[in-house]
Amino acid sequence: MEKIDIAEVKRLASLSALEFDEKSLEKFVGDFENILNMVGEIQKCDTSKVEIKRACHDFDELRDDEAKEGISQEEVLLNSPKSRKGCFAVPQMLEE
Amino acid sequence: MEYNTLSLLEHVDLVKTGKVTSEELTKYYISKCKEMEKYNAVLEIFDDATSNAKAMDEKIKNGFKGALAGIPVIIKDNILYKGKKCTCSSKFLENYVAQYNATVVEKLLDAGAIIIGRANMDEFAMGSSTENSAFGVTHNAVNFDCVAGGSSGGSAVAVAGGMCPLSLGTDTGGSVRQPCAINGIVGIKPTYGRVSRYGVIAFASSLEQVGPMTKTVKDNAYALQVLAGHSKFDETSSNREVPSYIEEIEKPIAGLKICVLKEVEEAVKGLDTEKSYRNTKQILSSLGAEIVEMSMPDFSLSLPCYYVIAPAEATSNLGRFDGIKYSRRSENAKNVDEIYTKSRTEGFGDEVKRRIMLGNFVLSSGFFDAYYNKAKAVQQKLKDSAKEIFEKCDAILLPTTAGGAFKIGAKTDPVSMYKEDLFTIIANILGVPAITLPAGKTEDNMPLGVQILGREFDEATVYRIANAIEGERRKA
Repeated sequence: MEKIDIAEVKRLASLSALEFDEKSLEKFVGDFENILNMVGEIQKCDTSKVEIKRACHDFDELRDDEAKEGISQEEVLLNSPKSRKGCFAVPQMLEE
Repeated sequence: MEYNTLSLLEHVDLVKTGKVTSEELTKYYISKCKEMEKYNAVLEIFDDATSNAKAMDEKIKNGFKGALAGIPVIIKDNILYKGKKCTCSSKFLENYVAQYNATVVEKLLDAGAIIIGRANMDEFAMGSSTENSAFGVTHNAVNFDCVAGGSSGGSAVAVAGGMCPLSLGTDTGGSVRQPCAINGIVGIKPTYGRVSRYGVIAFASSLEQVGPMTKTVKDNAYALQVLAGHSKFDETSSNREVPSYIEEIEKPIAGLKICVLKEVEEAVKGLDTEKSYRNTKQILSSLGAEIVEMSMPDFSLSLPCYYVIAPAEATSNLGRFDGIKYSRRSENAKNVDEIYTKSRTEGFGDEVKRRIMLGNFVLSSGFFDAYYNKAKAVQQKLKDSAKEIFEKCDAILLPTTAGGAFKIGAKTDPVSMYKEDLFTIIANILGVPAITLPAGKTEDNMPLGVQILGREFDEATVYRIANAIEGERRKA
């Protein structure tokens, strides 16, 4: 069974672009271990003879890749918290 | 007249024969939503619902005959309806406004439905109680102190509590069926690919489907008829013809072979659901169906298998919420990295964070084979056993939940919450259709359901069996 420590959870948090304070980290480690114990049950299953088939059944037909009218740039930007001159705006990244 | 005692089909008939207008129905249901506000099932009543109903009345006068002409419907808060907020019950999307219609919304509108509001849910559909909503808990329609179930808890309580005759939910691991069961109504998870997912905010794309929630089986079949079919915007939606679900629904079920799983026969012993499950088995026998006991040895692994595959897909799907494109950006972020991290940390609730982390764990190098690939192999093994079963049998009978709705706040440990979906997840893992319908009550008088699972794209047989059970239960 995987043991999980705080360092591993911090690594995952960084991969997930999430932050946890020290107190919630501890609770998280406990919950996470319980979950991994539960999902770890799958390790006991013998799958050596299993041949994984394609997930989809009749989804062979792909539509033609044609340029068509979609939603407009303005509509896309309506949900952006910050936009400028038709672009998503973020704080300056490059130094002058 | 108390319209909310009627079935969906009776509503359709009343509108069709001019005995009630869409405006009257819409106003009636909006007032019901307001009366039932404390249940917190509905997050928003759309302010154009009544004017849309008036316009529909004109259309009907001019000969419009859509299947849902003038019928008020409530949709889950993860389904896009152009110009309306769609929040997934998350602070992250608190101000997100849909810029296009989901295919299911287009289909509802084409059929003449009036979408009157959006229903509360577990944040990003992750949960089994609707306690994970950023906008408060939804209360069970039968017992206010109990959970609504989830994640489509608001949609279930909206129908069970008489706030609309039809609602839509989404089901990734039981999110339509579990809340339907514990509120005493009918809900289906269609075959994967039967209904388009276009415009439904994605959680686990290979598992989820939109499903209708109604008071009766026939209502449900009628509603799925409207929703099912190919959409050019979702290549995983099937272009197989949609059969008429109502046409054969009354056909007797004598001679059909219905499988019960050996593992489930064992697992239900001592559970609250045991009596209603066994009663249903008797009903099926009395109607001439042949009960066949078969084995699916790895049945219990559907739950852990799901908790690898679903978080893996969720972590990818939720990667788009970066604080730049959609709705929320942290006010505390000073640079781009902080925009990502702080917006996500402040915007997501605990369960969503847990699943994102779990997803990244099972996908990270060193663990990918042991978890993700292993879970996909277990999924295939389950599919192989199901194939054998469906070669001999027409359907599988399962309970929907282990017990009735639990008290709000009673389950704080994530794993015990995950086990709520013990009997429902298998249908998502297999991709097959599964309906839940009322099957009895617990000793505390809380509703319980049973499920009928069918072969891929054989919703017609699933409805036929469910309708027969419902008919027998009505007589009793």
